[in-house]
Amino acid sequence: MSASPLVAYPTDTLKVNSRPTASPLKRPISAAPSSDGTPRPPVQAQPTRPHATMDLAEQMNDDEKRKWVKGKKLGEGTYANVFAAHLRTDPSQKAAIKKIKVQKEYRDGMAPDALREIKHLQELNHPNVVRLISVFSSKDQNLNLVLEYLPLGDLEDLIRNVNTYRYGAADIKAWMGMLCRGVWFCHENFVLHRDIKPNNILIAANGEAKLADFGLARSFSDPAIPMTTNVITRWYRPPELLFGARHYSGAVDVWSVGLVFAELIIRSPFLPGDSEINQIDCICRAIGTPTEENWPGVTKLPGYAVAGETVPVYGKDAYMGRFGAVGADGVDLLMKTLVLDPRKRITAREMLEHKWWRSEPKPTRNEDLPRKTKGGLEKMAADLKRVNPMEEDNRGAKVARKLDFGAMKK
Amino acid sequence: MSRKPAVAPRASIGGGGGGVPGALAISSDDMCPVCKTIRYLNKDMEFLINPECYHPMCSNCVNRLFNDGPNQCPYAGCHQTLRRKGFRSAFFGDLTVEREVDIRRRVAAVFNQVEDDFETLGDYNDYLQQVEDLTFDLVFSGADEGRRRKAEANLQQWEAEHKADIERNKKAGREADETARRRLAAEREAARQRRLEAAREAEEERLERVRSNEEALDQLAKGDGAAKVQLKRRGQQGRPVAAPAPEADGAAEVTGAAGRLSIRGLKEKKRAPESTGPYDPFAGYDFHPDRYKLRDAFASDWLDGFARDPKHSTGGYDVREYYARAMFDAFSGMGVFIGDEKETGSLDMSAREVADFGAGMAAEQSGPVVAPSIRMEVDDVFA
Repeated sequence: MSASPLVAYPTDTLKVNSRPTASPLKRPISAAPSSDGTPRPPVQAQPTRPHATMDLAEQMNDDEKRKWVKGKKLGEGTYANVFAAHLRTDPSQKAAIKKIKVQKEYRDGMAPDALREIKHLQELNHPNVVRLISVFSSKDQNLNLVLEYLPLGDLEDLIRNVNTYRYGAADIKAWMGMLCRGVWFCHENFVLHRDIKPNNILIAANGEAKLADFGLARSFSDPAIPMTTNVITRWYRPPELLFGARHYSGAVDVWSVGLVFAELIIRSPFLPGDSEINQIDCICRAIGTPTEENWPGVTKLPGYAVAGETVPVYGKDAYMGRFGAVGADGVDLLMKTLVLDPRKRITAREMLEHKWWRSEPKPTRNEDLPRKTKGGLEKMAADLKRVNPMEEDNRGAKVARKLDFGAMKK
Repeated sequence: MSRKPAVAPRASIGGGGGGVPGALAISSDDMCPVCKTIRYLNKDMEFLINPECYHPMCSNCVNRLFNDGPNQCPYAGCHQTLRRKGFRSAFFGDLTVEREVDIRRRVAAVFNQVEDDFETLGDYNDYLQQVEDLTFDLVFSGADEGRRRKAEANLQQWEAEHKADIERNKKAGREADETARRRLAAEREAARQRRLEAAREAEEERLERVRSNEEALDQLAKGDGAAKVQLKRRGQQGRPVAAPAPEADGAAEVTGAAGRLSIRGLKEKKRAPESTGPYDPFAGYDFHPDRYKLRDAFASDWLDGFARDPKHSTGGYDVREYYARAMFDAFSGMGVFIGDEKETGSLDMSAREVADFGAGMAAEQSGPVVAPSIRMEVDDVFA
């Protein structure tokens, strides 16, 4: 129960009333809010409800909290725990509850990352952006974010487990399509994600990839308002942030998308710098050194520092060797996302307009994408999925249909 | 039999092998109990058993002892007469299991009635229970020789009395197996045909697409006006379930319908519409503003300064994005009436969303109506 410390409770007078139900949490579920979510007016019919002590906001919070049944812990992060959950009224409606830990630095208010996440996710509704279903606070004023349930892991999982998952150009195209749509939607609504990386791209039960973790998101800045450069996980951080530019745009996310793209193809991080200096070095060596010629004004950026010889920006041939798996059009798109000068970098919208999406192969359908398997696949799905239609179904040929000891030895 | 291995005699050994303790299980670093050869000396050592007594010994011993005809089991206290022919390697590591499986196989060959042979399910279950009891007696009555003997006798008697029935059931069972095998083969063949069919259709579809693309290109080459048709058609195919556009061009509609006719079976209802038509990278979403026109530049002394400021532009900051956002903020929410949407549910998603968000966010539902898509533009406190 979240109780604002400012409210003085007339506890003495109400004690008699509230005794029969020891805790409001033990109240039967009859008070669940109506299906359209309209909060109930303060109910007089139930005199035992200790709601007289709660103001309307607390009461609504309580109703919201009561809608969900928290299950087992799914994971723990640095600033939040994630629990499985489902609707009290309909257990088949699953969700994940992200319970923000109380952080020492922000004891007096909400953690900024949680606030960012709520602020932006509540506005964004797109199939490729994780959905924030509800927010409530639990005891100790802990924030709980009810998020869409995404049971099939993340993209990092798929990339790293080289032996477990095999995928091809069509699968990459499908994932990239979903990622680009998510990013494009955010940008179209003037939200910078600022932490795009494979393990922030989660996979829903139907195979749909969704952009998650808006803990670093913010809206596009007004002119003259500087933004922090200390965002985006280092490997996916664009050169303008590494050079300390305080005014930037959606191009920072596009760079990250490009690196995710590269990582999907080569199945290892493309630019794994171990420090910021080293990250710049990685970029210079793998893509080219930022200079006044290819990026006018770059030398004036506060953090501009490139070591060693100037490496000319690589051309298409250099990329074809390493990323040729996605075809010439795919490499073209990759190169456009990895342009050093953010002004010349492709935008999220232009990415979706790129010709790669229309060239062969066609992106894999969601249901056919490689995924974490739970048990065997259905036969129908399996035989429609086979890449080579002529391939024979020999999978179960050596497995006995039933235990037949007679066949063992005659 | 001059030399008998000093294996402790087992009281229960005899007959069909009264009971073989689990201690006889073969392990990889075993030693042959008869000749004491260890695997270290003979890598290829193979243990053989004879279902008469299930005593394991290495193949060399078997050859040595039984090549010249039947002989007594070399184990101390075991008086079974074994033949070379009866030896085989054990299928299971645990010889008690090996023995049980042998027995069960033998019983199953005799008691091979199926459910159809009985009047009621209860009868069938009773029969199964009886058979299991008998099997259990045969397998586990190690110490109680009498019970085992009795069960053995029962089995033999039944076999003798019902020879004809057993033979008939055996034949029926074989036939059932055969039909099952044939059915499986037929299923596999059907699946193969399905896949072939799918491949053929995919090819046809591809050709169709190529043809329509060429057509469109021809049209484009002919005149300017055709471009609009082309764009419209593309959009239509991309949408999952597009309502027929009222002003749609006749030609465009025909192709659209033809593209959709390739639905094959009802089971694939869900995926068929998705798989037709070209991939739409935008998945049907479109955010082009329809209430205002976004220009490349808007005259403003304040903004022009930033547009020229290298500090802003070098990092990729684009004043045009600010224009877009300002315009978006100014116009979003126009034409949105929460009341209507809630009642009619006309916007299938947002009506519910509005309610959801209303519950979660709004402090007062009955207060002034706030459009859901208005973004609350408070100055961001986090730089």
